[in-house]
Amino acid sequence: MIVGSLAYAQKIDDQLPGWGDLPDWAGPWQMTSNTVFDQATVDPPGGSSNTPGTREYPPYNDEWEAKYARNRELVRLGRFPDPITTCGIPAGFLRMLNLPGGIEFVARPEQVWILTEDGPNTMRIYTDGRNHPVDNDRWPTYAGWSVGHWEGDTLVVETIGLKGDGDTILDRTGIVLSEQAKVTTRIRRKSGDLMEARFTIEDPVALNELWHVVIEYRRLEPGTWMLEFACAENNRNPVDSLGRTLTLDTDGNVLDQL
Amino acid sequence: MVFTLPVSAHHAASMFDRNESVDLVGKIVEFQWTNPHIWIQISVENKDGELEEWSIEGGVPNRLYRSGWRPNSFVPGQSVTVRGFPMRDGGRAALFVGAKLEDGSTLGRFE
Repeated sequence: MIVGSLAYAQKIDDQLPGWGDLPDWAGPWQMTSNTVFDQATVDPPGGSSNTPGTREYPPYNDEWEAKYARNRELVRLGRFPDPITTCGIPAGFLRMLNLPGGIEFVARPEQVWILTEDGPNTMRIYTDGRNHPVDNDRWPTYAGWSVGHWEGDTLVVETIGLKGDGDTILDRTGIVLSEQAKVTTRIRRKSGDLMEARFTIEDPVALNELWHVVIEYRRLEPGTWMLEFACAENNRNPVDSLGRTLTLDTDGNVLDQL
Repeated sequence: MVFTLPVSAHHAASMFDRNESVDLVGKIVEFQWTNPHIWIQISVENKDGELEEWSIEGGVPNRLYRSGWRPNSFVPGQSVTVRGFPMRDGGRAALFVGAKLEDGSTLGRFE
């Protein structure tokens, strides 16, 4: 066992980039757009994910297009609760790269970490040459299971094993994917103050074809603090059994005239 | 008029009517500089001359901080006019749009 472990460690060391080979991704960074996931297809153009009636056009098959239509109707009725309204639930990947707060991309030789201010969300991308676990060694998680490699200054990430419909959303228009989604993400510093993530999304259950989405992030002022987001600190917006998000007064009484 | 406000990170705001706005004139009872949202508690005199407490929900402290807000942006006892999007169902809460303080300074959108 010990010999095997040493051999593995030597193999890994041979493959790892050196610290000097890694790009400078010091941030923090923040999305340049609002929280509509697919800015290229949003209808109406420039629409907000918080405005009922806004939609995008993922290449859904008929069944999942119908599911999206049902979700949009629930949005209109105020009964499509955001999973993260229940404090402590992570946004999950892909949505964790579609949040309005600060984001850090931390490149190390053996891993890249993505840390979001709106949380809890942490994504670990293993760049040490390992493969994804086989089916019986993984299960659906919020951040999924990610391995990556460097192509020059671009990090290429493959993510599988994601939670899907029922646990996570991509944005508040009601977009969801299945647990069979597989995402290839290409992350690079496009210019001094711009990071770019290009997503290629496969989902044999929900999509008819590949879905391509690009999100950009601008660098916040040097010296910007990443701040705490402890959602449970004073959550005055519980979700009731009908999916309605309530509003409480300071004593915990419901202010909604139900 | 419809405003686009900084998006809340925590819940949809469908309980508020963004096509209406209400101006609440009163005194600050409490300012909760907390996650996931800040809350402004304000005491307002109703049409019968009775004081009612309203809850004004604002954004996330992190992003408000970066736009200049601080934990003492409102202090108890302060006279203020707060503008917000009211609840659709008439509850005594609103989504923060802007505020005007006694010295004429403003926070948020208060044209």
